[in-house]
Amino acid sequence: MMNDRSRDIGPFVPAPDDDMIVCRCEEITKGEIRRAVHDGMYTVTEIRRWLRAGMGLCQGQTCSKLVKGIAARELGISPALLEPASSRAPMRPTEMKVLGREEGACA
Amino acid sequence: MKRYDLIVIGAGPSGLSAAAEAASKGLRTVVFDENERPGGQLFKQIHKFFGSKEHKAKVRGYNIGKQLLQEAADAGVDVVLNAPVEGLYPDHEVTVRIGDSLRHFKGDAVIAATGASENMAAFKGWTLPGVIGAGAAQTMMNLHGIKPGNKVVMLGSGNVGLVVSYQLLQAGVEVAAVVDALPHVGGYGVHAAKLARTGVPFYLSHTIVEAEGEDRVKGVTIAEIDNKFNFIPGTEKHFDADTICVAVGLSPMSQLLKMAECDVPDDPSKGGQAPRVGAFGETSVKGVFAAGDVSGIEEASSAMIEGRITGLAAAESLGFITKQELEAETAGLENQLASLRRGMFAPGNKGRKITETDEGIALSESLLTQGYVADDEIARFPGVTKQRGIHPVIECTQNIPCNPCQDACRKGCIRIGKDITSLPAVDTDSQCVGCGLCVAACSGQAVFLVDEDYEEGYASVTLPYEFLPLPETGARGTALDRSGAPVCEAEVVEIRTSPAFDHTNLLTMKVPADMAMTARFFRNQKTESEAC
Ligand SMILES: Cc1cc2nc3c(=O)[nH]c(=O)nc-3n(C[C@H](O)[C@H](O)[C@H](O)COP(=O)(O)OP(=O)(O)OC[C@H]3O[C@@H](n4cnc5c(N)ncnc54)[C@H](O)[C@@H]3O)c2cc1C
Ligand code: SF4
Ligand code: SF4
Repeated sequence: MMNDRSRDIGPFVPAPDDDMIVCRCEEITKGEIRRAVHDGMYTVTEIRRWLRAGMGLCQGQTCSKLVKGIAARELGISPALLEPASSRAPMRPTEMKVLGREEGACA
Repeated sequence: MKRYDLIVIGAGPSGLSAAAEAASKGLRTVVFDENERPGGQLFKQIHKFFGSKEHKAKVRGYNIGKQLLQEAADAGVDVVLNAPVEGLYPDHEVTVRIGDSLRHFKGDAVIAATGASENMAAFKGWTLPGVIGAGAAQTMMNLHGIKPGNKVVMLGSGNVGLVVSYQLLQAGVEVAAVVDALPHVGGYGVHAAKLARTGVPFYLSHTIVEAEGEDRVKGVTIAEIDNKFNFIPGTEKHFDADTICVAVGLSPMSQLLKMAECDVPDDPSKGGQAPRVGAFGETSVKGVFAAGDVSGIEEASSAMIEGRITGLAAAESLGFITKQELEAETAGLENQLASLRRGMFAPGNKGRKITETDEGIALSESLLTQGYVADDEIARFPGVTKQRGIHPVIECTQNIPCNPCQDACRKGCIRIGKDITSLPAVDTDSQCVGCGLCVAACSGQAVFLVDEDYEEGYASVTLPYEFLPLPETGARGTALDRSGAPVCEAEVVEIRTSPAFDHTNLLTMKVPADMAMTARFFRNQKTESEAC
């Protein structure tokens, strides 16, 4: 149901708090997230790729629930029904030099 | 690549318990934690915990952490700190950042005990400096000895919001208000009551409209909301404040389990995405287990038991103990878990409005909406009796999993019974000697000693006091009632401190006799002038 792009979710209606930053690492606003849903981004993964929300330093630790809530409200569904973004290594911000110094990978 | 029988991710109460249990069965066990200190949430918790003796009730959180670490060390567990686990793969391989390199380890079994992360709330101005998570406030105060601000507004009335508000007061920070969008206080009534009697106001069905300020928080406007979460015009209230503390819930930190391809559905009753687990904490991926807050937000007490169960299950899965031994050893633990999960705050009661206690007594509506039991409600609870001479008055009015007050009294004055969530009752047939052990043992600071026959025309009230500076005997000040309103003059007639009280001081004040059941906090005259 949530991936049904032919579903009419109504027009984008500007709101007074559209300029509020939601993803502070990448400085993405609530309006941009709502707009992205109306542009056809119906999953959190799509919103992430489209806007980079949740792809910054904290890797969505702060905003992922907020983004999910905003998108779900726009789609008129419960946030629990929205497929979450996938999880990948590294879990924490890690410098390239550390990733490059991998030890014991092929024991 | 180094191999272990068991890799535990997270050195909180669940991870340390799991590791200690597994190692005691002979598993070569390692625990990785990204923090520089072990104990998870515990090492920030300076308050006494709820629960029963077996769950280390009335022990302060950081001391529970120390005890668990010792137990794990004695069992031969390697605890590796400053070691964030960066990846967990379905074949039980983990990558860990240690120093400046990424190391690989493989475990025959893996237990994820990664705990939870704080939720945030977005409102106008929430990105201003001065808006912080309650966990951050705790870290600043309790680990680094730094005051997060001088005047805070707390958003969230769950246990975290209530406990952190109290700790802010203890650190000398003014708490201007506790605000929650829900119509009822979310946390334990006893935690709310100990704030309310110091004068902290509660605003339920309210939320933050705006954090004000140009380059940092200078003030906050809140307003009442209707049942659709829309602000009701005309209900705005303004507070001067330099800090907004956000305590709007926790979410399981289940990303590693998702990465390992475990089934991790979104379950609002568990606080978010939590792995589907069986009775022993086993996930859908063989050999991968989960315990503690990551498998559903609960308490340290349940996290420790879950940890022990999964530790034993890991031992069984690798053949260190038999299925029969597993079942025999976990049966008692399962019973403890079940008893903790009763009462009005049980996971199954989330979101349900409860109106009476298990004993059939109507709950205090005032406690749920204003944070304190009203004068005309208190007498109906079994901890409140009228007796001659000194006796305990227990203002613990909700079914919570807790019973140290019962264990504290050797005279048999306090009875909870075998069901740990029952309300404490005062037995009028037993003679109280006024030793005060019950007052100090109560994790909720809900036990008072009252003597209505203290002196002609005067009563004495003994209360738990955890603020500094400690008033001196003879100090005069004001007695506050349960709502924090000043009601009469009071004189401190005794201050008791003892190692047995574990940093809870007992303050006895003399008040007019008719105030015996009203006066519940003491405010020193001196501190008032100091505050000006
Ligand atoms: C303010 C407050 C008050 C509380 N009061 C009480 C109380 O009175 N009574 C009670 O029973 N409970 C209380 N609790 C709840 C209790 O603290 C938690 O339920 C409990 O700590 C959960 O234990 P845990 O082991 O599951 O997780 P945690 O204690 O959160 O430990 C998880 C550990 O995993 C580590 N970790 C996470 N991810 C990684 C990774 N990728 N790599 C390496 N390490 C990682 C973390 O650093 C952390 O040390 C309170 C909680 C708070 C916040
Ligand atoms: S003061 Fe001592 S004797 Fe009296 S109820 Fe408390 S623990 Fe029992
Ligand atoms: S009165 Fe007893 S049951 Fe209630 S919070 Fe205090 S110690 Fe726990």
